[in-house]
Amino acid sequence: MRGQASTKTIFAFLGPAVLGLALVGIAPLLYAAWTSLHFFNLTKLKRVEFIGLENYWSVLTDEVFWQAMGRTFFLLCTALPLQLAFGLGIALVLHKPGLTILKTLARLSLVLPMATTYAVVGLLGQVMFNQKFGVMNQLLGGANINWIGDSTNAFAMIIFWDVWQWTPFVALVLLAGLTMVPGEVEEAARLETKSWWTILRYVQLPFLLPGLVAVLILRTADTLKLFDMVFTLTRGGPGAATEFISVMIQRVGFRAFDQGLASAQAIILLIITIVLARIYIRSFYKEV
Amino acid sequence: MNLKRLLCSAALSGFMATSAMAASHSWDLATAAKPYVGTTVDVVFLLRPGYDAIEAMLPEFEQETGIKVNVIKHPYENALGEQVRDFVAGGDLDVALIDLVWIGNFAENDWVMPLADVQAKFPDVVDPELDMDDFFPLVLNAFGGWNGTIYGLPVDNYSGLMFYNRCMLEEAGFDGPPKTWEELKDVYGPALTKDGKYAYALQSKRNETQSADSFARMIWPFGGSFLNAEFKSNLNSPESQAGLKFRQDLMQYMPDGIVAYDHAEVVNGFAQGDIAMITEWSAFYSSVMSPDTSKVADCVEIAPEPMGPAGRKPALGGFSMAVASQADEAEQAAAYLFIQWATSKANAVEYVERGGVSARQSAYADPKLAETFKYIPALVESWQEGVPEFRPRFAEWPEITEVVQEWGTKMMLGEVTTEEGAQEIGTRMESILAAAGYYSGDKPLAQ
Repeated sequence: MRGQASTKTIFAFLGPAVLGLALVGIAPLLYAAWTSLHFFNLTKLKRVEFIGLENYWSVLTDEVFWQAMGRTFFLLCTALPLQLAFGLGIALVLHKPGLTILKTLARLSLVLPMATTYAVVGLLGQVMFNQKFGVMNQLLGGANINWIGDSTNAFAMIIFWDVWQWTPFVALVLLAGLTMVPGEVEEAARLETKSWWTILRYVQLPFLLPGLVAVLILRTADTLKLFDMVFTLTRGGPGAATEFISVMIQRVGFRAFDQGLASAQAIILLIITIVLARIYIRSFYKEV
Repeated sequence: MNLKRLLCSAALSGFMATSAMAASHSWDLATAAKPYVGTTVDVVFLLRPGYDAIEAMLPEFEQETGIKVNVIKHPYENALGEQVRDFVAGGDLDVALIDLVWIGNFAENDWVMPLADVQAKFPDVVDPELDMDDFFPLVLNAFGGWNGTIYGLPVDNYSGLMFYNRCMLEEAGFDGPPKTWEELKDVYGPALTKDGKYAYALQSKRNETQSADSFARMIWPFGGSFLNAEFKSNLNSPESQAGLKFRQDLMQYMPDGIVAYDHAEVVNGFAQGDIAMITEWSAFYSSVMSPDTSKVADCVEIAPEPMGPAGRKPALGGFSMAVASQADEAEQAAAYLFIQWATSKANAVEYVERGGVSARQSAYADPKLAETFKYIPALVESWQEGVPEFRPRFAEWPEITEVVQEWGTKMMLGEVTTEEGAQEIGTRMESILAAAGYYSGDKPLAQ
């Protein structure tokens, strides 16, 4: 039919992408699913055997797994609101007219934390939060706070670094949302009311919603797979205070070498992530 | 560990070495290496002084043999994972670097060849001067042997030693280090913990440091152990509990946040003069003695670890190098030549002088060496009293150590009592051992 591409053309365009995705995404996922149904320990490969859903049962009944999951969601519930609040504040300030050069500089500087490698953030944290020599205690007037060796402080430190690194991302996404608000609508609203809250709630928020949903999904997924920074900073300790779910999966898979169990944990984590993403989209996402 | 089998194996190696001597009247390294000129040997090294020492000596070996040694360096924490992945994938490694707690794993997976098999396969490369009896028996047995068979030759060998700051102790009125752990806690602890300084620091970070340097160090001198004769948990025995409770009591004389201290933090704290005593591996000797890295180099003295009610039982750690089964024949022979050379009697003194810790008894016979390296008398004494199963060396240790690290740290933080923590570790440890087949008789009770 004229105007429609032939099947061959469609395959030619889509094929490489689908093949690439299958190779780097689908195949490892299928292999992980296969592994999760087996006793598969890298140091006991002579004993690889099909064990059905036993690994899944072990994960679902393991309180350590659920404690790590609870810890991860607690991090999400504490860090994300802070990121949203600070991010929205920064976005609103940058959205105001005037001070163009300063705003450009501010936008550029916002990219720096995001561009810092996770592992480097952890290593920086080790130095800056060192009890004796760290700059953080110096900034607090020579306080003697034990950051890394105390369970509560170590958790607070992780929240601090997560907020530091990802608030700029939230700010930039929300700033993009604010620029979508038609100028005449915002101008008309400002003639109607002087309340910034009313403008934010009824004029700007509808345009921010798609960005907010994206932030929710991405930050939830990021928190669930948060690993590098925590591994280099606290290695999950002290005790299990900062052992988030991805740190735990790495421990089981690559330090205890139980790939079967780790794969089952990862598949369960994937399911939880997909379910949460669907809930976010259904609950919050609305076309403007 | 079946000592008889081990001795037989050692004797067999000695016999083969003797046979090789008879067969080869004028053995020398260059001639033995001739068929393998141009071969590259891939080996994992750690970022530690003992490996820097071998690296500094390597050009001599490469020049004499024409064998190229490709060194791949890893921090300790990555070394096991990297090697496991290499062996599982049939990678390039020709020499396995084996921590004493990995030996069961490497041997049971056939990733490394028994020494006797290598010597039988390549009789021409066996140095008649190998002299297996010259290795400290405890070290050869613990680091290189598994279930009666010798696999590797000891290379970077440690015993836990007490490093103490003589100046701080003298200032507090002590003319020597504590003889017992109780004395350290009850007498030295209160006297030396003041003005931001601490009497003692026990590295306890949640990694192998927690299991080996902290947890195991405290249970053995008090008569405790990980497992009893039936391979059931012994951690709730009165002796093990005494050790674990002692550790809790001793924490009042350690810096805050000691559960976040690894070797680097403890050694640094000692080298800065903030901590009066530490129990550390002999490998850190050069760090605390060098004026470049230590403010207290002139005050450092070294003694064996204090004794507990059950004796000294110092921490034992270290490595062996073994020939990888996955290497091709030329690489295996070249790898053996390299291992034999690196651990040889002839090179032992130079190795020590360059910062390594040799397992050769003959290296320490020269009293002048002991004058230069203060740790030697304490090390030699410690190696008479160590326990090979200080940490169980079976294949399940990587899983068990993760459990010990988690619950050991929780105990120190006061999140669980020593009894609760020991119960958790015991239950999980027994579950791992049951799954591995120790209780059903599928595996021998070797650790």
